[in-house]
Amino acid sequence: MAIPPEITRMVELFHLPFMQRAMLGGILTGLMGGTLGSFTILRQLSFFSDALGHSALLGISVGLLLGINPSVVLLPFAVLFALGVTYLLERTRLWTDALLNIIYSSSLAIAIITLSFVGRYKGGINNLLFGDILAVGELDLAFSAVLLVSCILFVGLTLRTQMLITLHEPLAIARGVAVTTHRTLFIVLLSLVVGISIKAIGVLLVSAFIVIPACAARLLSHTFTHYILFSAALGAGSAVAGMVVSAAFNLPSGPSIVATQLTIFLAAMTLPRLHALGQG
Amino acid sequence: MAEIVLAVEGLSVYRDSYAAVQQVSFALEAGTDTAIVGPNGAGKTTLVQAILGILPRQEGEVLILGQPLSRQGALPTRVRQQIAYLPQHFLFDRRMPITVAELVSLGWSRLGLQLPWVGVQQCRQAVRAALVRVNAIHLSHQLISELSGGEIKRVLLAYCLVRPRQLLILDEAPAGLDVRSESDFYHLLYQLKQEEGWSILQISHDLDMVRQHCDRVLCLNRRLLCQGSPEVALSPHNLAAAYGSEFVRYHHRH
Repeated sequence: MAIPPEITRMVELFHLPFMQRAMLGGILTGLMGGTLGSFTILRQLSFFSDALGHSALLGISVGLLLGINPSVVLLPFAVLFALGVTYLLERTRLWTDALLNIIYSSSLAIAIITLSFVGRYKGGINNLLFGDILAVGELDLAFSAVLLVSCILFVGLTLRTQMLITLHEPLAIARGVAVTTHRTLFIVLLSLVVGISIKAIGVLLVSAFIVIPACAARLLSHTFTHYILFSAALGAGSAVAGMVVSAAFNLPSGPSIVATQLTIFLAAMTLPRLHALGQG
Repeated sequence: MAEIVLAVEGLSVYRDSYAAVQQVSFALEAGTDTAIVGPNGAGKTTLVQAILGILPRQEGEVLILGQPLSRQGALPTRVRQQIAYLPQHFLFDRRMPITVAELVSLGWSRLGLQLPWVGVQQCRQAVRAALVRVNAIHLSHQLISELSGGEIKRVLLAYCLVRPRQLLILDEAPAGLDVRSESDFYHLLYQLKQEEGWSILQISHDLDMVRQHCDRVLCLNRRLLCQGSPEVALSPHNLAAAYGSEFVRYHHRH
């Protein structure tokens, strides 16, 4: 039986080094996003990660204005920004979502004004907004791999502590857990993951990698351990499937991965209902 | 003389400009049950949270099993392992996918850096044994969001007893339960206290329960108004000082 030419073309495409790097980058980002995302949504930090992603544009634009490589500016900016916002959130009497809205919309506005001084950015605003996973280099992959190992070590070695903090903070403090330190470490890791993923996925879509696989995993899980494992697996799986869809239909890669995540999420919503109907 | 499990000396907690708790001193002997009573806003929860290091204290010393609690709320891990705390309202996000067995296993864990699979068998056995003792083994695989109020309290008792402890600190632990469930809760608590030899410090509004079960009573209204056996501390005179004379007249008429 002859192999359809579309499949042959796709297989050939994945032989190209930039596609292999993109696939690996997607898997690493999916694993990191899924692992941290499982705690992010439970701690109601989804909007925080979204705001962080949007505000990263400010870091990039300041880097461009100062003539520094945006990738170099992005990570320290993301960490400092996240810590600053956390400090502000803890000391204000305003609503968290309202304050985050102020922060991210004003950061975006200042970023766009700053970019207008820079002139034409060679990568183009589209690449900043939606990312370019095909441009992921070996250094980006190395950074992502180190960060993924850090995330796994952090979550793996402190799993029960993170569970107790997420469940009930006073109970954790009564057991001697340094809750503030753990929360800060988590925020730092989350901001690094968001920062490092922006090049591939862009400021607008980066939070999808944190939120959607975790929400789908929640719908499919009945224990906490399964929830975290599902979340990481769905993050990686959606990246692989999204890249294949993107290659097969010649679609933009980042948005294809997010659309795949949405499909998985919808399936996760529907499956238990179908199962219940089948049993009824 | 019995061992002192908890010693509090001159403890004060200030909130903004006022003293929520001022100059409180008392000691808790091993194996005894002490109740803190007082009106709403008397600083009862503030006091126990300062003892546990959940809230910072501005003055005074706290010694738990002979070890001082630092101003930052730090205690040696081996001492922390000996304490269990049940909050007034166990408020949690009901969308969190955590089972009863997983919750109880958090009570067993030492919560330091550890590989998640180390000691899993031991943990599983301890969780099972604890759930059997509170008659909740059938709930083991259920999500905690699916439990009734009474079931959650039983599971939280299993969280406390999954490891041997010396001191239990309860902040109105049966709050939110109906009369029957509250009675069941106390029945189970005192059965376990007998078996485990727990020392208990508990906040309570149920003065009849306090008279029946507690060895000592602390009457608190920002300051410690009196302390002693239930007969002494809950005398009409002392109750009037804590709650006001109207309350005492009403309480004695009914």
